[in-house]
Amino acid sequence: MAPSLLILGVFVVYPIGISFWYSLHDWTIGAPEQPFVGLDNYRALASDTQFRNALVNTLELTVVSVVVLVVLGLALALALIGEGRMTRVVRSAFFFPTIVSLTSIGLVWRFLLDPDLGLVGGISSALHIPRVDWLQSTSLALPTVIFVDIWKNAGFVMVILLGALKAVPAERIEAARLDGAGRWQLVRHILVPSIRPTLLFATLILTIQSLQLFDLVYVMTGGGPLFATDTLVNQVFREGFVNFRTGYASAISWVLFVLIMLVSAVQLRVFRYDDVD
Amino acid sequence: MRKTIASLAGGALLLTALTGCSGGSDSSAGGPTELTVWTGFTGGDRPGYDQIVKDFNASHPNVKVKMVVQPWDTITQKLPSAWLTGSGPDIAAPSFDPNVIANYVKTGSVLPLTATGAGTTEINTDQIAPTLVKEYTYDGKLYAVPANYATLSLYYNKKMFAAAGITSPPSTVTELLADAKKLTNPAKKQYGLVLADNQTIQMWPILQWLQGGDIVDAKNCSVLQSAAGQASLKPWADAVAKDKISPVGLTGASADALFSGGKAAMEMNGPWAAPGYKSAGIDLGVAKIPVGVDGKAVTLGSTAPLAVSAKTKHPQQAQEFLAYWTSKAAQKKFSLATGFPTLRTDLATDPQLLANPVIATFTAQVPDARLYLPRVPQATQVDTNGYVPLIGKITRGEDIGAQTAAAGKTIDGLTGCSS
Repeated sequence: MAPSLLILGVFVVYPIGISFWYSLHDWTIGAPEQPFVGLDNYRALASDTQFRNALVNTLELTVVSVVVLVVLGLALALALIGEGRMTRVVRSAFFFPTIVSLTSIGLVWRFLLDPDLGLVGGISSALHIPRVDWLQSTSLALPTVIFVDIWKNAGFVMVILLGALKAVPAERIEAARLDGAGRWQLVRHILVPSIRPTLLFATLILTIQSLQLFDLVYVMTGGGPLFATDTLVNQVFREGFVNFRTGYASAISWVLFVLIMLVSAVQLRVFRYDDVD
Repeated sequence: MRKTIASLAGGALLLTALTGCSGGSDSSAGGPTELTVWTGFTGGDRPGYDQIVKDFNASHPNVKVKMVVQPWDTITQKLPSAWLTGSGPDIAAPSFDPNVIANYVKTGSVLPLTATGAGTTEINTDQIAPTLVKEYTYDGKLYAVPANYATLSLYYNKKMFAAAGITSPPSTVTELLADAKKLTNPAKKQYGLVLADNQTIQMWPILQWLQGGDIVDAKNCSVLQSAAGQASLKPWADAVAKDKISPVGLTGASADALFSGGKAAMEMNGPWAAPGYKSAGIDLGVAKIPVGVDGKAVTLGSTAPLAVSAKTKHPQQAQEFLAYWTSKAAQKKFSLATGFPTLRTDLATDPQLLANPVIATFTAQVPDARLYLPRVPQATQVDTNGYVPLIGKITRGEDIGAQTAAAGKTIDGLTGCSS
């Protein structure tokens, strides 16, 4: 017990605590003086347009990707629940992006979507479809990043929900069918309620992942164009490691931490498993 | 028993983790002093830097230098805390942006270099380009040496020029603009002059200087919103937004890819780009940046700093290495291998270097080269929050007057301009 607590303390509790301490200072790594500024960093965040922009982008990315991923993952799981050879192949194909690093995926998609040199641009050009600047347009860049994020994670959600669906007792499904339930009614009233804890797990994990999204954005757009895809963690990186503003970056991290806690709490409340159901 | 083993295993793990954080590069007893260097030189010029290290190790049996090359992003992320905790390298090039050194000076992470002088084992500051020495000197103390010095030249695709009936590269900024428009052909997805504006060594200041404008004045106050500032941006913003001489929002890598892929007729870039363009099969021409509206030549100078950790255990050997890196023999060999102009004034007229047309073109522009935002307070943020968004907006057709005013306000707030 003691070593575990020690490791947890040194590598988890201490960094979290010290980052809050940093956020109360105008902290610069290595500087001889670290002036205490109280809540000034948090007050500055309230009027920081870049922070507001990154917060809105992060929330937009999270809401869209989580909703689409859960619905799409469930649809895929229902469609590919069989054990035929082709079904297994298609399932593996959907799952494949999950095991590839997000950085590689970002690089590949950035190249594919290049309007002048990429495959997508080449195909559109051959079909005389007007040029689309997927990652250079301020209005399209964020939806494009969200699309790639969904493409990467859909297989993961599918596998989790597939496992849960397979665990639903066959007699329950059979009973519903005998009672005359159609496919939609079966899904709506039997399968979805049966896998509710797994849906909660998937939603929670995806929400936390999306709120912390960094690598995909960093590789695909660097937060651009014109901060159109800037996320909170991207801003933390920029303030902390490029501008050396450790205190300010810590304050952003803490806002993100609280945001994740709140969203998780709300989700747990909304999706709570209740025997009455 | 089980509990004891678990405790021991946990303790060992913790010990390993903690000791892993405090690496350092102490030499083994009796052996040569070991120095570690971090750099981000991953491009075509890398063999030139590797050769300097190899030659140093061969001629200095008492010191062994190991250079670790990793992406600049990785260094940016790791170096500040690594140097703070004393676990970082003895020497590092913290960034390709020379302005970054100011942050390390402020945090006391870099060693003031004292081994300067005319000797062969000293850093010959009198022979290094004065602009560079000034760039790395704070409060009268030298904190870094230039790892390199490059100027930007105009690369052009000879085949595209011939196809467009243009017989020679542009020699004035007016010709540059006219040629860029003439060489643009949207039907063929061909661009006249690719202009990157983010994640790159800036190209836009050159265009502004050529047109008689600038970013900040001597007091570090923005002059982007002045009449001259706006006039210097307008022709090029229009050329991108309306004439489509370049795609908008290009990163440096994207611009290079377009030129390498034969989709762009011209690009302003440094000597590091030449090997890649040649291997891509481009019929390559390299010319000086055309002269500006005032008839004067100007280009952007680029230098990466090489600094010593304030916590190194071997300050003397580290400075000896920097002295070797910037020595006449090492720099001549480096220029010949990479095509870079020399950072030393005593090599500026070296006949062997000037016999190489690529080196000669880049070297000829050294006297006219200007650094990007040199010694401007918070230069990194001026770039990220002020200049890059401005170029991004005006090349997307937004109003130059309004955008330069907004960028000017941001920049003045960052630099502390009070006039």
